[in-house]
Amino acid sequence: MSLLDNPFAGSSGNKISCLEMLQAILDGDATEEQQQYFRKHMDECLPCYKAHELDMQIKQLLKTKCSGNPVPADLVEKIKRQVNSIS
Amino acid sequence: MEETPRQKYTEKEKVEVFNNEFLPHINSMYNFGYRLTLDEDDAKDLVQDTYLKAYRFIESFQKGTNAKAWLFRILKNSFINDYRKKSKEPSKVDYQEVESYYNSDDVDRQITTDLRVESLQDMIGDEISNALNSLDVDFRTVIILCDLEGFKYDEMAKILDIPIGTVRSRLHRARNLLKDKLSVYAKKMGYKNP
Ligand SMILES: [Zn+2]
Repeated sequence: MSLLDNPFAGSSGNKISCLEMLQAILDGDATEEQQQYFRKHMDECLPCYKAHELDMQIKQLLKTKCSGNPVPADLVEKIKRQVNSIS
Repeated sequence: MEETPRQKYTEKEKVEVFNNEFLPHINSMYNFGYRLTLDEDDAKDLVQDTYLKAYRFIESFQKGTNAKAWLFRILKNSFINDYRKKSKEPSKVDYQEVESYYNSDDVDRQITTDLRVESLQDMIGDEISNALNSLDVDFRTVIILCDLEGFKYDEMAKILDIPIGTVRSRLHRARNLLKDKLSVYAKKMGYKNP
């Protein structure tokens, strides 16, 4: 795939920056084709490689450390009771 | 809510939609409520309130569509209208959010940070959670929606009632702010700038 075929380039044909590509990847907004292009791009762009590694680690840490607070056991029952009383 | 034509549900169908499409998201909803309010009791109230509203307005929900985004939007609105009003802390987000940040020349400066991957590996405690919690609620919210819940730009735009461009720039700023906080922790743990 040549750089001319950058799948990130919009219809406007604007030059796409590393930052824009990186964010699309990070935000989960990149297509399969774009992800593939970016993986190749990282082979030749050290700033992107480093930033991607760091950002993905943070994303992973967020997932493992900031979710999964158990819902208080009585909450679901309480909600069900209240819904039953209004239906 | 959305301009969805009103649905006609029997009482039985209502309960089915509620049990099968709404309740399965309660873990994510509780985590969202907790991360917004930073208080377990407030989070419980917020989630309970959201589910009751969802049931009351169930006819504006179309069966089989994105229940999670629909519920998150109700929770976020309840938080703003009922909870945030009560708290004394005003929003600190500068709403003059610059959406033209991509046009900046110093992209390289924006892409580099003094935070190192190695320092993250030692953040096994509450550092990341504390860093997230310390962000202003509007920045915290986009990180939660994107990184914890995996919502897409268009879904976040609907949940937050902001344009997609604003979602994107807010996420960008939120990530940088989070990295700044993490750098502070890293320095405290003894990591030096390269
Ligand atoms: Zn690059």
